[in-house]
Amino acid sequence: MKVVTGVVGNDIHVVANRLIDLALRARGYEVFNLGVNTHLQEFFDAVVETGAQVLMISSLNGEAEGWGREVRLLRSQYTNLDDLIMMIGGNLVVGSGNGEDIAARYRNYGFDIACHQVDLNTGLDMLAALLRERGIQ
Amino acid sequence: MSLLQEEREIILGNEYVDAFDFDEVAAFVRGAGKDLFISRHFARRDKMLVQPRGGFPTYQQQYALYEYFVEAGVDVLPLTIDSNTRLNDYATAKKMLRLSEENDMDMLNGYPLVTHGYRTTRKMITHFRKPVSLRHGTPDARLLIETAIASGIFEIEGGPITYLLPYSKNFPLDKAFLYWKYVERVCAAYSTLNEPINRESFGPLTATLVPPSITIVIQLLEMLLSLEEGVTSFSVSFAQQGSMIQDIVTGAVLRKLARHYAHQAGCADAAIHLVYHQWMGAFPTNMNYADQLINLATVIAALVGADKIITKTRQEATGIPTREANAKTVADTQYCLRILSGLPHVVDATEEEILTAEVTAIMAAVFNDPADTLWRKVFNCIKRGIIDVPFSPHIINRNEMITIRDAHKNIRIIERGNVPIPDRCYAYERGQCDLTRDTTTIVNNIIRDIGIMQ
Repeated sequence: MKVVTGVVGNDIHVVANRLIDLALRARGYEVFNLGVNTHLQEFFDAVVETGAQVLMISSLNGEAEGWGREVRLLRSQYTNLDDLIMMIGGNLVVGSGNGEDIAARYRNYGFDIACHQVDLNTGLDMLAALLRERGIQ
Repeated sequence: MSLLQEEREIILGNEYVDAFDFDEVAAFVRGAGKDLFISRHFARRDKMLVQPRGGFPTYQQQYALYEYFVEAGVDVLPLTIDSNTRLNDYATAKKMLRLSEENDMDMLNGYPLVTHGYRTTRKMITHFRKPVSLRHGTPDARLLIETAIASGIFEIEGGPITYLLPYSKNFPLDKAFLYWKYVERVCAAYSTLNEPINRESFGPLTATLVPPSITIVIQLLEMLLSLEEGVTSFSVSFAQQGSMIQDIVTGAVLRKLARHYAHQAGCADAAIHLVYHQWMGAFPTNMNYADQLINLATVIAALVGADKIITKTRQEATGIPTREANAKTVADTQYCLRILSGLPHVVDATEEEILTAEVTAIMAAVFNDPADTLWRKVFNCIKRGIIDVPFSPHIINRNEMITIRDAHKNIRIIERGNVPIPDRCYAYERGQCDLTRDTTTIVNNIIRDIGIMQ
């Protein structure tokens, strides 16, 4: 199972990114880590290039809200991404908010799983459950 | 005209510089008061120098901050530079400074030195008659350090590795080496006019589980890159790591090997100093706990025998500290140093031997690289993962080394990647840790190990 991951936007928070990389590998995924400060388009380019089934974006500085609504539009410009599973996690808003409301908003943006301030392993369990549900793993 | 002078004229011909007068600046440095030179204070060796952090956008705010610091008994004043200037974006710095001045609101996270210029800033520096240390994070600091020295700032922090690997994703490392070569040469040239300009490396790096062997190797290499360009006063540094004995051992090995390699490079006359940073990782939000942590760091710095300590504040977890909080740390740290006495001389021979063997093995691998100059050897070794900094965001960093804490909170290497840690040292490091756990547990432990002080 191939996963593309990275931190979106102008966000240099690297610690979680390294830990996500380690944790994914520990669970047997093949990881393509684009690191910090990654633009949305670079993520989709990498998915096409690697043939990844999962795109896992992280954000810590809260700026994800700003470009979230561009996700569907950008994705529609690529072919063959219909089956891509998209997940986002981290600190998804500036300030505070209700986790379930925030997750619902991000599902509207086109994400299959959205984790606002959710523990790393819980998030990865959610991904594993979704993959099972879709009969992928 | 020398090539260096040609380059300087290009750099200082920048549209954001107001007519740089080389002769006037040289005359100023030649006649500058000895108090402004930290190298002079180090030479006196009568106490550990206390230096806080801090930089505000406007001249008035910076001046007021310095008044607070002086009142609190500061030894060395900081000048922390804003992030636009660090990235050479002088246009934005200028705009944000104007907005800050007009609106009484801080639009910059530091002092935009290039925008203020040396003629203005020098008035402040010479008024307070304290040594000032330039704190930034700039890969291309050529214009910044020219402006700093012309202002009377005679200590320059940073280096091509320590100001790049923790801060940048893709600024080219080879360019950083060449830009810092300019910095070293300019510092060396001014050092012949009066007391030496002190250069200081930034040892904390990512401040996240960096093992002492990697910290020391990078300190030694930046020191050598500086000395080979003619710098004669240099500070190596590291930050509180989480284990008292590991800090003591790190300090001892760093001091010993800095002298050794300086001597080997034919620079035995160079003055080498040791600087200790109070905890640079995640701070507790409880301010009373933060004060305890700061105090503990001061005690360890004394046991390490540091020549200078760089302080944090009780507001570290909540944002940019106020000048009151900053001044409080200075006063508290001075008090703690004043009452500390009769310290034991602690030595751990086993740990020192292991750490020394690790550092010398990595240094040997760097020197054995086939490249023709030291900076190219270092560049190649970073690229090949001979030097690997945990949690660096930079694309050139290998990211194969994995570290965790042992039962005594010492940082240990459990995965060496391509770093030539000798087998017996590697076995020793791993032997201190419980490696029977699965990777998921280890990842959870790493998260815990990063946040130990919270």
